[in-house]
Amino acid sequence: MARLVAMQPRQASPWASSSSPLLPSSLSEFSGAALSISLQKRRRTWQPKGALQVNASSSKKILIMGGTRFIGVFLSRLLVKEGHQVTLFTRGKAPITQQLPGESDQDYEGFKSKILHLKGDRKDFEFVKTSLAAEGFDVIYDINGREAVEVEPILDALPKLEQFIYCSSAGVYLKSDLLPHFEIDAVDPKSRHKGKLETESLLDSRGVNWTSIRPVYIYGPLNYNPVEEWFFHRLKAGRPIPIPNSGVQITQLGHVKDLARAFATVLCNSKAIKQVYNISGSKYVTFDGLARACAKAAGFPEPEIVHYNPKEFDFGKKKAFPFRDQHFFASIEKAQRELGWAPEFGLVEGLADSYNLDFGRGTFRKPADFTTDDMILGKSLVLQS
Amino acid sequence: MAAAVTSAAPALPSLHSSSCSLPPLTHRSLSFVAFTSPTITKLSSHRSSRHFSSGPSTSVLSIRAAAAAADKKRVLVINTNSGGHAVIGFYFAQQLLGSGHEVTVLTVGDESSDKMKKPPFTRFSELVSAGGKTVWGNPSQVGDIVGTAKFDVVLDNNGKDLDTVKPVADWAKSAGVEQFLYISSAGIYKPFDEIPHVEGDLVKDDASHVLVEKYMAGLSFSSWAVFRPQYMIGSGNNKDCEEWFFDRIVRDRPVPIPGSGMQLTNISHVRDLSSMLSLAVENSKAANGKIFNCVSDRAVTFDGLAKLCAQAAGRELKIIHYEPKAVGIDAKKAFPFRNMHFYAEPRAAKEIMGWSSTTNLPEDMKERFDEYVKIGRDKKPMQFDIDDKILESLKIAVTV
Repeated sequence: MARLVAMQPRQASPWASSSSPLLPSSLSEFSGAALSISLQKRRRTWQPKGALQVNASSSKKILIMGGTRFIGVFLSRLLVKEGHQVTLFTRGKAPITQQLPGESDQDYEGFKSKILHLKGDRKDFEFVKTSLAAEGFDVIYDINGREAVEVEPILDALPKLEQFIYCSSAGVYLKSDLLPHFEIDAVDPKSRHKGKLETESLLDSRGVNWTSIRPVYIYGPLNYNPVEEWFFHRLKAGRPIPIPNSGVQITQLGHVKDLARAFATVLCNSKAIKQVYNISGSKYVTFDGLARACAKAAGFPEPEIVHYNPKEFDFGKKKAFPFRDQHFFASIEKAQRELGWAPEFGLVEGLADSYNLDFGRGTFRKPADFTTDDMILGKSLVLQS
Repeated sequence: MAAAVTSAAPALPSLHSSSCSLPPLTHRSLSFVAFTSPTITKLSSHRSSRHFSSGPSTSVLSIRAAAAAADKKRVLVINTNSGGHAVIGFYFAQQLLGSGHEVTVLTVGDESSDKMKKPPFTRFSELVSAGGKTVWGNPSQVGDIVGTAKFDVVLDNNGKDLDTVKPVADWAKSAGVEQFLYISSAGIYKPFDEIPHVEGDLVKDDASHVLVEKYMAGLSFSSWAVFRPQYMIGSGNNKDCEEWFFDRIVRDRPVPIPGSGMQLTNISHVRDLSSMLSLAVENSKAANGKIFNCVSDRAVTFDGLAKLCAQAAGRELKIIHYEPKAVGIDAKKAFPFRNMHFYAEPRAAKEIMGWSSTTNLPEDMKERFDEYVKIGRDKKPMQFDIDDKILESLKIAVTV
């Protein structure tokens, strides 16, 4: 797969000079085939606690809660390619399948013909319980669950459930001056993501074979959270990028395709039972650096960055910047060491993948809204004059 | 502030069931005494104990017996006579002696020089008591100094450039030394927007350490390795680190921190460096040809470090942020760390040698503060000329 060379060119020699030019090259496409073969190689014989001994390489009946918007779009393809029977549980508001940019007609038809849909509202707990009990799934991927109460009917419906794989969040970690966050670190029971924590606790208390994945910021094509999109809108409009405070705050982005691979890797993996894994990119980046990385990835000139003090403004309900204004990053070494998973996308490569398959083709989820930018820039102009 | 907040906020029960059934490891601060004990503790756990976690810590220690006669190495440490790295050789020597290896420390210069009146040199008698040899001289004459003595391992913890290290490396090669280790510096990494510095990342073209690294790589030692450290704390340190913060905190002075205070750096307990070096000696095959970031596995912000120091001292903290250029002072003289993100991670050591970090800043700072008071530095009269200049420019009065 041809890739954009990463922002820090990695050379064979550890002491290579920095004078090598970085040339954009054609971009990777998400190829499920090669990945599924390597995933199968990593399958271990797995014996779920108290349940029937299952041949780990057999096809599983999998239900994904969600699966039509972002992570699930990529994950479901991986699982179908691996030969599992995959059902998506959604209300049907978004199309069940959509052909991805760069996806061949053949691949898409193959996927579309195999994926199944269970239409329902997961908040209708009675329906969840009866419909899941009627179907009897081996494995649940809960990609869109927020509250523990949403998971109870699923567990009630499936007493023989082999594995419950949960998309949690690194947002559960207690803020700290000592970083990165490791899986053993303190969590914050008062955080915005406490529903995720409560879900993890519930899973543990119910004795289910659970695996919890904690991503940091996810990015990639089809992202419905305006992470990279926020920068791309401004770069395209030739606008300065307003970044709060010093701009040296450090964050971490993880490509959705790498995340999907991590989710697929923990399936029927005995090592992953009752384990939590941070999943994100290999390196972290400053806010200012991320603005530059987005520009580089999309082929825009280096942006003008304007720093401001958010306390001097009242943005009302609008969000002036897509990241929490603090250092926020997590170590992925546990997943690398225990699962043999590693991210394939470097930051600039990954942003380029997102740009070339999404924003750069004219698609985005949220239209540009520069209201808060203008408030910030207006004030800084006044100060300068 | 993780330690403080953990105790205040009730945390959910830990969700991480451990695959091992050992009870949580109580973190003892590893004082010098521990290093002269005859057992080596090989910290092979992937889940090292951390005091700032909510759940039960899990740690697996595999205790190895003292080095068998066959594993016993004859190690020569070429040690600098000053600066932040001086303490590395001391801890390393102590750890090796504790494991039953033979150690000679060759310190640059004269035994009688004033430089030897500062730690760690003031504690070299401990090395001698433990069976080590301490000699002084010019490393370029190492062959003459050690005479016919044979060594299996040489650590150069002195030279920053090829002129200084080349004679040592050449001698080691000709004398049949099997393993050559070099203390370089994480300061040679090129700064980028992406963090952390990882082994293999680009280094500055003009960094003198780089030429040393390349040169020794080309000498075909049976095993060679490079270690790139950052900042250290630990008893016997030759250079101020946490002391800079304690000096101000105990005197109820504001702590002036340049920039936002969000800059990340890596402050390791020197025992982490020593354990990594020892692991490389004991795993010379695995360590061969490798670069290791010789640091703990956590970064701390400048503000965070100040908070930890204040917590350790049990005192109030007042941080003042300032822009060095605006005040007209040299940040290098005003603050003990470089004024930027400077953060490397020890990924190679973990992956290649199964090394784990035991630095625990909240706990380690308590031990550091105890020593700070014990030696009477809290009572020592001090001038804070640069601080005063900063505070004056910000129109902040100091009420003492």
